[in-house]
Amino acid sequence: MKNKYSRLKRVALIYIGGIFLFLSVSAHAETRTTPLPFQQNDITGVVEDPNGLPIPGVSVSLKNTITGTVTNQDGEYSITAPSDGTLVFSYVGFKSLEQDINGQREINIQLEEDVAALDEVKINAGYYNTTKRNSTGNISRVTAEDIELQPVVSPIQALAGRMAGVSVVQNTGIPGTAPQIQIRGQSSLRTGFENNGNLPLYIIDGVPVDSSPINSFSGMTSAASRLDPLSTLNLSNIQSIEILKDADATAIYGSRGANGVILITTKNGENFNQKTRVSARIYSGVSQVSQRLDLLNTADYIQLREEAFANDGAEPTPVRAEDLLLWDRERYTDWQENIFGGTAETTNANVMLSGGGKNTSFQMSNGYFKTGTVFPGDFGYQKWSSGLSLNHRSDDNKFKARVSVNYGVDVNNQFNSASFVSNALLLPPNAPALYNEDGSLNWEDSTWTNPLAETLNRSNAKTQQLVSNLGLSYEVVNGLLVKVNAGYTALNNEELVKNPIEALDPSFRDNAQARSSHSFTNRNSWIIEPQIDFQTTTGDLNIEALVGATFQEQRSKNLRASAVGYSNEQLVGNLAAAGSVFVSNNQEIQYRYNAIFARLGLNLKERYLLNFTGRRDGSSRFGPGKQFANFGAIGAAWIFTEENLFENLPWLSFGKLRGSYGITGNDQIQDYGYLATYSPTPAPGGLFPTQLVNPDYSWETNNKLEAAVELGFLDDRIRIQASYFRNRSSNQLVGFPLPSISGFTSVQANLPATVQNTGLELDGSFISIQTPNWRWETNFNLTLPRNKLVSYPNIEDSPYANIYEVGEPLSIIKLYRYNGVDPETGLFEVEDVNEDGSINFEDQVVNADVGRQYFAGLQNQVNYKNLSLSFLFEFVGQDGVKFFRQAAGRMSNVFQSDFDNRWRNPGDTGVTQRASQSIFNTFTHSNAFSSEYLITDASFVRLRTLALSYQLPVKSSLIRSSRIIVTGQNLLTISDYKGLDPQSPGSDQLPELATITAGLEINF
Amino acid sequence: MFSIKIIVRTLSVFALVLTLASCESFVDIEVPNDRITGETVFTDDRSALSALDGLYSQLFNTAFAAGGNRSVTFLSGLSADNFEVTTPIPEVLEFSENEIFPPNDYNLSLWSGAYSSIYMANALIEGAENTSQIDDAIRDRLIGEAKFIRGFTYFYLVNLYNRVPLVLGTDYQINAQLPNVSPEETYAQILVDLNEALELTDETYPEDSRVYINASVVRALLARVHLFLGDWTLAENFSSEVISSSNLYELNQNLDNVFLKNSSEALWQISPEGWGGTFQHTREGNLFVRISAFNSPVKLSDDFMEIWEANDLRFMSWIGLFSDDTGDFNYPFKYKIQFDNSGGELTEYSTVMRFAEQYLIRAEARARLGNVSGAIDDVDQIRSRANVALVSDSNPGISANNLIDLILIEKRKEFFAEWGHRWLDLKRTARANEVLSPKKPQWNNTDSFYPIPEDERMKNPNLEQNEGY
Repeated sequence: MKNKYSRLKRVALIYIGGIFLFLSVSAHAETRTTPLPFQQNDITGVVEDPNGLPIPGVSVSLKNTITGTVTNQDGEYSITAPSDGTLVFSYVGFKSLEQDINGQREINIQLEEDVAALDEVKINAGYYNTTKRNSTGNISRVTAEDIELQPVVSPIQALAGRMAGVSVVQNTGIPGTAPQIQIRGQSSLRTGFENNGNLPLYIIDGVPVDSSPINSFSGMTSAASRLDPLSTLNLSNIQSIEILKDADATAIYGSRGANGVILITTKNGENFNQKTRVSARIYSGVSQVSQRLDLLNTADYIQLREEAFANDGAEPTPVRAEDLLLWDRERYTDWQENIFGGTAETTNANVMLSGGGKNTSFQMSNGYFKTGTVFPGDFGYQKWSSGLSLNHRSDDNKFKARVSVNYGVDVNNQFNSASFVSNALLLPPNAPALYNEDGSLNWEDSTWTNPLAETLNRSNAKTQQLVSNLGLSYEVVNGLLVKVNAGYTALNNEELVKNPIEALDPSFRDNAQARSSHSFTNRNSWIIEPQIDFQTTTGDLNIEALVGATFQEQRSKNLRASAVGYSNEQLVGNLAAAGSVFVSNNQEIQYRYNAIFARLGLNLKERYLLNFTGRRDGSSRFGPGKQFANFGAIGAAWIFTEENLFENLPWLSFGKLRGSYGITGNDQIQDYGYLATYSPTPAPGGLFPTQLVNPDYSWETNNKLEAAVELGFLDDRIRIQASYFRNRSSNQLVGFPLPSISGFTSVQANLPATVQNTGLELDGSFISIQTPNWRWETNFNLTLPRNKLVSYPNIEDSPYANIYEVGEPLSIIKLYRYNGVDPETGLFEVEDVNEDGSINFEDQVVNADVGRQYFAGLQNQVNYKNLSLSFLFEFVGQDGVKFFRQAAGRMSNVFQSDFDNRWRNPGDTGVTQRASQSIFNTFTHSNAFSSEYLITDASFVRLRTLALSYQLPVKSSLIRSSRIIVTGQNLLTISDYKGLDPQSPGSDQLPELATITAGLEINF
Repeated sequence: MFSIKIIVRTLSVFALVLTLASCESFVDIEVPNDRITGETVFTDDRSALSALDGLYSQLFNTAFAAGGNRSVTFLSGLSADNFEVTTPIPEVLEFSENEIFPPNDYNLSLWSGAYSSIYMANALIEGAENTSQIDDAIRDRLIGEAKFIRGFTYFYLVNLYNRVPLVLGTDYQINAQLPNVSPEETYAQILVDLNEALELTDETYPEDSRVYINASVVRALLARVHLFLGDWTLAENFSSEVISSSNLYELNQNLDNVFLKNSSEALWQISPEGWGGTFQHTREGNLFVRISAFNSPVKLSDDFMEIWEANDLRFMSWIGLFSDDTGDFNYPFKYKIQFDNSGGELTEYSTVMRFAEQYLIRAEARARLGNVSGAIDDVDQIRSRANVALVSDSNPGISANNLIDLILIEKRKEFFAEWGHRWLDLKRTARANEVLSPKKPQWNNTDSFYPIPEDERMKNPNLEQNEGY
């Protein structure tokens, strides 16, 4: 299997490498064929900014040719040009300037800053482009600079704290697992792994990619999250990520826009007439778990255990108290240090090549990423990626073609354990040694399960993903463009988990056998989207129109099997060597999607903007007669600073009011949900019913309303955008919970409820210092979300009666009232509200909201000469659930503070209950953990990213620029929360790691 | 105006494309390859029989019948006095200390496993009743066997939970709101189901395999149900009929062979093939056989170990002993194979009902009816096989009441660690209080029925909780 896999990878790399080679040769060839004009002179000069500082990297080109160069570190350039030519100087953030040569040999240029130009930066709105200035919708954008230096695996992880309205939570520190992203709150009640209705739509270079996590057998990668298909993307090859939030932006995605749309654009090669450039970057670093829990040492632990037996009036017996009777009572091990206290090493290398001739240009990148784990043993994650983007235009610029191919392979070597980290938190501090003197695992006469045994159950998951896109467009007449966008994606995942006999307690080994589990996932999809794009201007009115259609198909195959009967331990995992193979799942799922869509954008006097979008969607996920539905939105904006009235307010440089309203939908439900189906039983030859039938469910709709104001002050040095949104989703598709007496625990159905997400989002930027040597820019975002169940007729008779409440958020937990520890009995007490003598769900009257109350990001970018420092703080205000502990006194470690504050004698006013192992204690303990006691402040401030770079003053004709970069990730977290990671309160999985890296970047 | 013409032409071509685009057939897709639709199942004999096979084989995967740590065998064993917990798992302790809290997850699994079987049986009954495309004989088999399994499952539900909802169809909108009904109503339905099953099933086992049922199995359960209802005559009649069909059944004289696949003593068995996976052996063996001080959560209680007479073969064959520094552990050893995935033949099946019970049912029914000598004959069948002194030799003048006590003790010895016999008998004979309160400090009257799982009551407001919870 391994051979086959690496061969595939090699072939793919050679193949892509070959394309690159061909392209660079052909690009070069075109350069040579350009006819040379007469009277060539060498022209030199310096390009400076308004403060007289040289600007490196300014593009200097000869107008109407492909001849061009860029300025060096000192702003100097040299170009060969005819004496009657015109030079064009351009650089982001400055106004482009054209200068006739007129026979001069030295031309020095001062470029004017173009603050307004930032407004003109193209924003990808999916089927069309807009600008920040003219956008009628709410689109957040992050660009390469903010993404590429972060030592994380998933591009989504890199977004944490950066955008208003977008919350990103990484539930586990295991690399390659899917982060959880929510755009403007939870709109669907379905939050399961297999059936999650909250996933946004991901579009990579115009191609929708199924982002639902990949199944994994390995507990390490499946306990808190699953394998993330987006991991195979190369972060260094991402140009920008745009997040579409409101109706105006998302309605053109119709049924799939309800949860927002994430557009990932890879670096494209629209660099015509550019010499071949190479840039390379390498960094490496280390990661660790930054937070540990304060648990008991051996002396306190033994005391607590003996107290428990004394309180229970019970004598310790060997099978109930191996820690007291069989193990060394003096021994102490810091299990957190031994189990997850290691250091993971990270390395990233990236090479990018770009260039282009008059008609064709290219950009390609190759990346490698490797990161280890903090666990003992040789585990880790590796990723190889290749990206290619190719642009072609005809001589008359009417025909354009773009190809982009992104291919990534990742290999996740972990082991099968869902509780490796939590074991370290539970193990008694006097548990036996991990190893015997001879280095083998110590089983202490089978009195314990050695936690390292699980590390022998190695898992290996390999994912290959190809995302390719071809875009063709032809300008039939001026302003009328016919386009076709076609895409193909392929994802292949194989996972192997080995369970050798050595991982078992020696007493079990005699009649055990090595096993292996195999999972194969295969997803293929294609999409074709023919479109017509029309643009015209009549008088003051600019009209943009678009119509198009979508045909999309996705096939997902899944095969899961396990095998035993290996003749030799060496062969475990090779199905051919297995004695018997059992296939537990073999399915192929088909999904088809069909739509027509249109857009009409009107722009009057660059002042009044109107945008209509609409889509008619059909999806195979619905039953006959329910497959099609319509969606649409209207957005409007008024740039009021264009009005004469505001000319007298020079400090107000920009002002826009905008709003939008529209309907989007959500078809993220399981395929074939409308069929009553029978599946094969695990036993051969049988069939059994696998789901209840409800042929009548149909589209859920999501009404989105947005109002916003955008302001710029002091020549836009201060920019603020404030938006209010209200999303209402009704007819929600849920797995309607059923009591199990109906045979199943849920059925696919439309929920007769309205869920509302409202919120206030504030974001902006502020340039506080701008001098020749100094520049300090601050970006901030703040979100105040509010989620509410607006209506649910007869909820009290529904299965949700004891889960949700009308008027409250979906993120509530129903809890008991907590009455503290009874000074007489020493037990936790909760209130029997209805006084019926029993504590049950009817007494759970407290609604505790564990959703985020606010979240914010604050980023600073400070430049001083060649030094640049950027850091991002993430702020989250939330209540969360306490980190669960076993009842004190059982064979499990507890918090030091719980030990110190426990009840001991009648009359004590303990904070935590007495030590005991009785089931009553366990019950009152679990009641307390179902009461207000459970809730604690889990707010945190985290230094998400820190990047310090120094531009090396290296002058060379070969090296354009180079810099040294030091970055940090999650270096500092301030929180009162007592747990491993306040980001996901209650989680006993590996927290997100703190990382420091150092690296070098060179641009040739 | 040339351009206008082109625009119009392009747009009309496009309009055509878009019209095609919204064609509905594009989004009509095939049924996936890993399942078939409910209607298709009952359109031919073979797939209909596969659905019946599924009903049987899934018993191995529904907690209630599986024989594992959420099965009747284990949990009811804990509630009575045969087991003692050695590993303090709270959910397990709750059962053994008769203090089950309604959120107990094991209890929910037990309950929902039973209702999952009932749903499958209901779906099969409806499917068979509503199709005209399958052979009549096959239709009879489907309906008869599914009704038997439904009746069997309700028998346990009513005994474990008393007032339970009676689900007889597949419409979730009705089922999800059903209230609990009286035990009388449930028993009436059990009798309706079993009597109909009796009419529809053959005397022989389908495919000669005891993983299916035949008419004798139905009678055997009818005998038990009537015993539980105190209808001694019918109990005696049905058990007599089973006992007289002795060409199929015998008491296996070698006790090591009783729980083997297709054992001549087995009335009805569940095949571990239902597991489908790579561990093919019974969950009972897996759970009880002790190979270390820690691998099994229970041992046989000291109380239980004291009831044995000398030289009882069952003691020797069906009880194992594990000893190390930590102590001695007696464990149920009816199933001998533990975690054996070393390949080879699947030898043991999980036995649900076996022939020996019929002698003890008839013995008790006869004793209750005053036929002491007939009762002694029957109980001696069991004692003789166990190689202990026959009642007819040692105590032929025993009173009917004492004989009933003796039969119940005999049953405790014969059926420990099997399908909760001891627990159900203690409750049925109203002895639970008297027997268990000295042994279990937390015992009180209302503990003889398990709580309706909290989760179920949260989802179905019409379900009432049992008393005492």
